[in-house]
Amino acid sequence: MGKTVLIVDDHPSFRASARRMLESDGYEVVGEAADGTTALAAASELRPDVVLLDIRLPDLDGFQVAERLAANGTSPAIVLTSSHDGSDFGDEIGASPAHGFIPKSDLSAEAITVLIR
Amino acid sequence: MSTPRRTLIELAAFGLGVGALVAVITGDHNIHRGAYAALTLGVGWGFTGTGLYAWTRQPTNNVGPLMIAVGFAGLLKALAFSNNSVIFTIGSLCELLIYALLIHLLLSFPSGRLDSAVDRVLVAIAYFNTTVVQLAAFVLNDPRAGCSQCPANPLLVGKSDTAAGVISAAQLDIAIAVLGAVVAILYRRWRDSSPDQRRGFAPVLTVGGLSFVLLMASLIVEQAGLSGSIDDGLTLALFGTLACLPFAFLTGLLRFRFSQAEAVSSLVGRLGDGRGRGSLRDALAEALGDPEVELAYWVPSQVAYVDADGQRMHPTPKGKIATIIEHEGRPVGAIVHDADLADEPDLVQAVGAAASLTLENERLGAELRAHVDELRASRARIVTAGYAERQRLERDLHDGAQQRLMALGINLRLARDLVTSDTEEAAALLDASLDELNQATRELRELARGIHPAVLTDRGLNAALNGLAGRSPVPVELVATPDERLPSPVESAVYFVVAEALTNVARYAHARGVRVTVVRSNGHVDVQVSDDGVGGADPAQGSGLRGLSDRVAALDGRLELRSTGGDGTTVRATIPCG
Repeated sequence: MGKTVLIVDDHPSFRASARRMLESDGYEVVGEAADGTTALAAASELRPDVVLLDIRLPDLDGFQVAERLAANGTSPAIVLTSSHDGSDFGDEIGASPAHGFIPKSDLSAEAITVLIR
Repeated sequence: MSTPRRTLIELAAFGLGVGALVAVITGDHNIHRGAYAALTLGVGWGFTGTGLYAWTRQPTNNVGPLMIAVGFAGLLKALAFSNNSVIFTIGSLCELLIYALLIHLLLSFPSGRLDSAVDRVLVAIAYFNTTVVQLAAFVLNDPRAGCSQCPANPLLVGKSDTAAGVISAAQLDIAIAVLGAVVAILYRRWRDSSPDQRRGFAPVLTVGGLSFVLLMASLIVEQAGLSGSIDDGLTLALFGTLACLPFAFLTGLLRFRFSQAEAVSSLVGRLGDGRGRGSLRDALAEALGDPEVELAYWVPSQVAYVDADGQRMHPTPKGKIATIIEHEGRPVGAIVHDADLADEPDLVQAVGAAASLTLENERLGAELRAHVDELRASRARIVTAGYAERQRLERDLHDGAQQRLMALGINLRLARDLVTSDTEEAAALLDASLDELNQATRELRELARGIHPAVLTDRGLNAALNGLAGRSPVPVELVATPDERLPSPVESAVYFVVAEALTNVARYAHARGVRVTVVRSNGHVDVQVSDDGVGGADPAQGSGLRGLSDRVAALDGRLELRSTGGDGTTVRATIPCG
């Protein structure tokens, strides 16, 4: 049984592609969320192993969601992603409780597996 | 005042004067016929003549009509010397009315208005005392009792010496009290006057005050029961001062006129010395005697008045009056002054005329400052709009094409991995990728068109406007478009005016059709977008039209919106295009 994943992104086309990519590599996508608030509720309910978390969301941003997930004690492996380059966010990625950051242009199931190992 | 009215008054004064003269000369109960005749005509015709002059000079001021009324009352008073009982009665009833009118006139000089409640009460009491109380005493009094030559009283309802005496005594007391109060008020008015005002007031208050002192003394003598030579002497002296009074008013009015001429002369001198902003206002304030005077400058391009700093202002704040000043037939501004100066329109106009050239110069400065302020605000809005536009572009790119390209990348990587093991799935992924690619291309095209439509650059305004019309959900009739190419900034402004207007029509107007007209003539391009929708658009709402207005203003053009409820909306832009 592969690891369970929650995909958090406000763009449906990206969520669909990411689901296809992860499932083809053995991950089990247990849920999707289009904003930060929904993501927190879904993580609390679904207890995924991994949260693939877009940084730019309509309400809370990805850093805030990561901090609240860590504070809730649910402690899934958090993978931040964005269509921006990691350098655009300065040291915020390093300061967040997330496992790491993968730009959307480099996103693959293998990259996630390596990051959360 | 109209000529027929003036002639009528002159004829009536002449006729009444002749009647009064006859009554005085032929009356059997008069021992000073010559003196009374001369003084009666002096008072009657003197007041009437000076009153006509004052009324002509200041038609809105009540001083003129009041002086005429005093003149007529003075003539009517003399009828009491008549041997005819009816004429005698009329004269007797009107005998004291002149004093009430004089009190009214003196307390209202020079504005013609009774400004304080005390003044109004005193005048009301004076009128009551000289008409109602006079009538009450007269109907109980038989004049022949103390004057064997006097005619009978046709209004006598019952002789009662006691009642008539009580009424007359009360009338006398009231008259003395009122006169005392009036003299006190006139003294205070004199004391509080400025030196310039005193020059105008001096003859009126001196002679008027003396008249009332003499009248009061005469009444006190009468009340004390003294008669004979003292009473006669006081009466003649009183009549003498009354006969001088109209000329005192005339002198006062002339002095006020002279004072106005001096004010204009002084203003011209000060304008020559004036330096810097505010000097004109100060000079006008001094010339008009109104320290609160303000100046409003007319800015035709904004169809509004502005102050010296170029800020828009309401030309007639509460309690103020604006006198429009013209220069070479064009309005240049307004003097905003105290409402009291409405009684002296000649003064304000004369001062305004003297200052009109300086006012025009200052107007140009104020207009320039208003334009600078408008430009500064417009520039700030353009910068802000630029930031907002860049943010919108970044958001549109991020949310649109960029996300689709990211998804496309993922799909292509998956397809690459599956192309040998699962060709069917790989083909499905490639189809999905193509859809994403097409969608991303469409979104990028729309975005590029919003930044600057390529068709406008390549094929001109006509083709670009046709494109806009074709994409509009509301049918568009392109009535006219210029055949030739226009300067690029003008074409761009015209395109975005039409684009924004059509977007607003589609969103808000509920219209069945739109007409678009773009005409080049007389060095301008005139753009008009009219719909037949619900109207009621508010130009203050939304940043789209404001941004367009700034874009058009940057080319020295103007954008106007006409939108009344139920009558459609018209957006019109006029842009210089040499």
